[in-house]
Amino acid sequence: MTVTFPSAPALPRRSRTLRVLTRRPGRVVGLGIIVLFALMAAFGPLLYPGTIAVDPEAVYAPPSAEHWLGTDFAGSDVLQEVVVGARYVLLTAAVAALAAAAVGTLVGLVAGFRRGLADSGLMRLTDFVLTLPGLPLLIVLSTLWSFHSAFQMGLVLGATGWGGVARAVRAQTLSLRERGFLEAARGLGLSQRHILLRELLPNIAPYVAMNLLLSVIGFIGAEVALFFLGVVPFSSENWGVMLNQAVFSGGVMSSPEALTYLLAPLACILLITLGIVLFMDAVDELFNPRLRERS
Amino acid sequence: MTDPTPHHDGAATAGARPAEVEIRDLTVVYRTEHGDLPAVSHASLDLRAGEITGLVGESGSGKSTLALSLLNAVPAPGRITTGSVEVAGVGDVTRLTGRRLRRTRGSALGYVFQASQNSLNPLKTVGKQLLDLGRSHEVEDLRGLVRRAGDLCERMGLDADRVLDSYQHELSGGMRQRIGIVLALVLNAEVLVLDEPTTALDMISQAAVLDIVRSVHRENGLATLVVTHDMGVVSEIADRLAVMYGGRIVEHGPAGELLRRPSHPYTRALIGATARIVGDPGLARALPGQPPDLTTLARRGCVFRDRCPLAMPVCEESDPALSEWTPGRFRACHAEPAPADRAAAVPAPRTQDDPIGGRP
Amino acid sequence: MKGFLLRLAAKLAAGLTMVFTVATFTFFLVHALPGNPGDAAYEGYVLGGMPPELARAKVAVVYGFTSHEPLVDQYLGYLGQLLHGNLGVSISYSGVPVTDVIRAAVPWTVLPVLSGLLLSFLVGCTAGVVAAVRRNSRSGGLLSLSGSLMAGVPSFVLALLLAFLFHTLWNVLPYGDTSDVTIAPGFTAEYLGSVATHAVLPVATYALLGYGSWLLTMKSSVASVLGDDFILAAELRGIAPATRMRYIGRNAVLPLFTTLALSVGHMFAGSVLIEDVFDYPGLGNLLLKSIGNRDYPLMGGAFLLITVTIVVANILAELLYSVIDPRVRR
Repeated sequence: MTVTFPSAPALPRRSRTLRVLTRRPGRVVGLGIIVLFALMAAFGPLLYPGTIAVDPEAVYAPPSAEHWLGTDFAGSDVLQEVVVGARYVLLTAAVAALAAAAVGTLVGLVAGFRRGLADSGLMRLTDFVLTLPGLPLLIVLSTLWSFHSAFQMGLVLGATGWGGVARAVRAQTLSLRERGFLEAARGLGLSQRHILLRELLPNIAPYVAMNLLLSVIGFIGAEVALFFLGVVPFSSENWGVMLNQAVFSGGVMSSPEALTYLLAPLACILLITLGIVLFMDAVDELFNPRLRERS
Repeated sequence: MTDPTPHHDGAATAGARPAEVEIRDLTVVYRTEHGDLPAVSHASLDLRAGEITGLVGESGSGKSTLALSLLNAVPAPGRITTGSVEVAGVGDVTRLTGRRLRRTRGSALGYVFQASQNSLNPLKTVGKQLLDLGRSHEVEDLRGLVRRAGDLCERMGLDADRVLDSYQHELSGGMRQRIGIVLALVLNAEVLVLDEPTTALDMISQAAVLDIVRSVHRENGLATLVVTHDMGVVSEIADRLAVMYGGRIVEHGPAGELLRRPSHPYTRALIGATARIVGDPGLARALPGQPPDLTTLARRGCVFRDRCPLAMPVCEESDPALSEWTPGRFRACHAEPAPADRAAAVPAPRTQDDPIGGRP
Repeated sequence: MKGFLLRLAAKLAAGLTMVFTVATFTFFLVHALPGNPGDAAYEGYVLGGMPPELARAKVAVVYGFTSHEPLVDQYLGYLGQLLHGNLGVSISYSGVPVTDVIRAAVPWTVLPVLSGLLLSFLVGCTAGVVAAVRRNSRSGGLLSLSGSLMAGVPSFVLALLLAFLFHTLWNVLPYGDTSDVTIAPGFTAEYLGSVATHAVLPVATYALLGYGSWLLTMKSSVASVLGDDFILAAELRGIAPATRMRYIGRNAVLPLFTTLALSVGHMFAGSVLIEDVFDYPGLGNLLLKSIGNRDYPLMGGAFLLITVTIVVANILAELLYSVIDPRVRR
């Protein structure tokens, strides 16, 4: 078939981004949710300085003007706990996503660029990491290692979760190679370092960014799961600890009185997931012109 | 357009028979953000039984779109807006829908993909796909169908049993191309459309495929349309030639004459550009400028004027209509044809008898 | 055929490496634990008034190694036991071999995971085809969104929500254990019914977890097959729509088998959470409980078996792929 489709005229970058973002209302909502939680993580603890207040008079209080989301088993305000807990959860997930993206990009780039022995070796390693039962491994590891800081925990999570990024980056590198991209760069006499950092990386960055955003969801899930299972010491206030106490100490599954205590952290996780998924739609369209053509 | 119908040429064409396919004033537009862009504009063309028509043009000229219109299969976002495609025994294909349209495709009209494209389901043997074809067209005698397919295979030099039991990945490009022809003809189609039949084949397979097209065409008395950008191909097998540019048919006539004495400046340029490959580099003149795509196409006046050596003020204003300037030959150009051409326009020998393809 | 055998062999080798690595990892992990549990147990027995030789023998039986031998000897002894299928003796289930404890748990993980997987594969793929065909309409967009959301939701969030809705709030489905404790196990309708209803929530969770990623993968696969030449060719040959859909479906589903193995892996890994929420006595639950009880032989065994299951699933997926794709078969 030799039907040529007209290509959209190039618009200035910023106005195109804005247009793509506002094309569907869901995308703006997604961005709004992400910004909201980022602000919550950054400034939440400042809103409620000091330790979380305990009010033994109001245990498992229903939502009221004073406690918008009710109180927990010790009479603490659930809203306050959710807001304060966001920082640890999001910081850990961000560190994990960044670490995974860094390792994955490095491995994928080198594998796709060098090919041959380095490629097959690195891909074996990647397959290994991908097939490794991640969560059970983390649980077993937790017997030896207590994750004290958000930063440490993020690094450990990232170390088990870079396989997907590595594969995607390698595939992308190979496809750039197929398009004669590398030959052209080599023909210009550019150094390997230059080709890797200046030519390949910028072309791959959008895919890494998309992967990074998506992997945040997974890392939030994994991290909250570890706290929820109770295999990690409760070193901080966060959503996983709330869930654990709601289910295993609060008995929320047999009596619905602790409802908001269970639902508040769940709703937060679902909201972040929704926000990222909705926003990804826009990112996808920005970086994936093929999709734009079809719609 | 005043009279875009080049079909009242009657006796001018050797061995004229009733047209198997009559394309009249066909316009196909692509619906885009920038409005409706015409891919084919007011095209008219006849395909006759026993004749091979070559449709030549650069990529983007609308020739593939025109070929797909014959089956009313223009891919979205394109659609046929005006005109008709009358097929003998079927009626106007552009008005068919649903089941009747589907049954027409494949049984009355056979379409063969270019060899580089994979036109077979990679997960099924050729034989099973043949049966799918038969069942889709409610063929009662499936054994007969297989026998006929085997017969066609043998005539094209294929080992029928082996081929029918093969998957696509086990066949070479030339073999796939021949199977494409078998599947297009096995239901006794009278019209055969070949889209770039030789592209991506090596020289030997090219020659073999053209031989096969010619013999199948002759044996079955088909009306054949060969769509190609390759002047060499059409000069070798076409009886009649239509040249497309920017969605218009700009010249149309008997192949030998048209190649020997091209009348439209674009045809001349096209033949000039081909000479470079054939041999004499002195004759080769590359066409200045770029072929238009749908967005850059002129909305007013002649679509070729920006690259035309003969462009005149009138070309800015009005789109020249395709008209018969000498018996049997049609052109769409404001410039007067050279008097010598007019004088020399006598019935041309059939190109098949001309081993070097009627090139001067 | 040769290429296929070669790939199978490579998978097998990779799987064995994986199992070996995990076995080695757990061995050294147990040794690196603060206050080596073997030593701790030995001291516990002696303090409890047991003669040292007897205590040492008991530790040897429980852990598969004696903590007073050199580390290398202990490691080799452990591997030797492993080759004989001996994973030591559970501490929390006092005296029961780890293999027996695990054997009782395996079906309760494998069956729900497999039925959930099958369900999600069927529903997800069908929805993926619809989402791809209607990708420019509102219903297709919503379907895709549902897929993205379900693919993103953490497993325990889903499990908790289902448990809360269907048990606590509406009380239509039971959960906790594999069947009602008051019903005696046996081949009775009552028992089987109880098992079935108790399995609904875990299976539904697995199914919903897989649904999203199958939908998304199938959607993009169908979209790419729709652009393939042979689909247009079939249309131009007048092939019936139902036959064309079969062509599309089979070609689109093929690449999904490569992700099948990964998906099984994720599900088995996720069983820890789901079995914990539903208190379902499978492998994941066993792993978690063994950590709570400091039952290290059982922990190692459960972790190893989860790994083995994933490796086996990988190899099965490879076989399945070769059955379906003629280009690999011949």
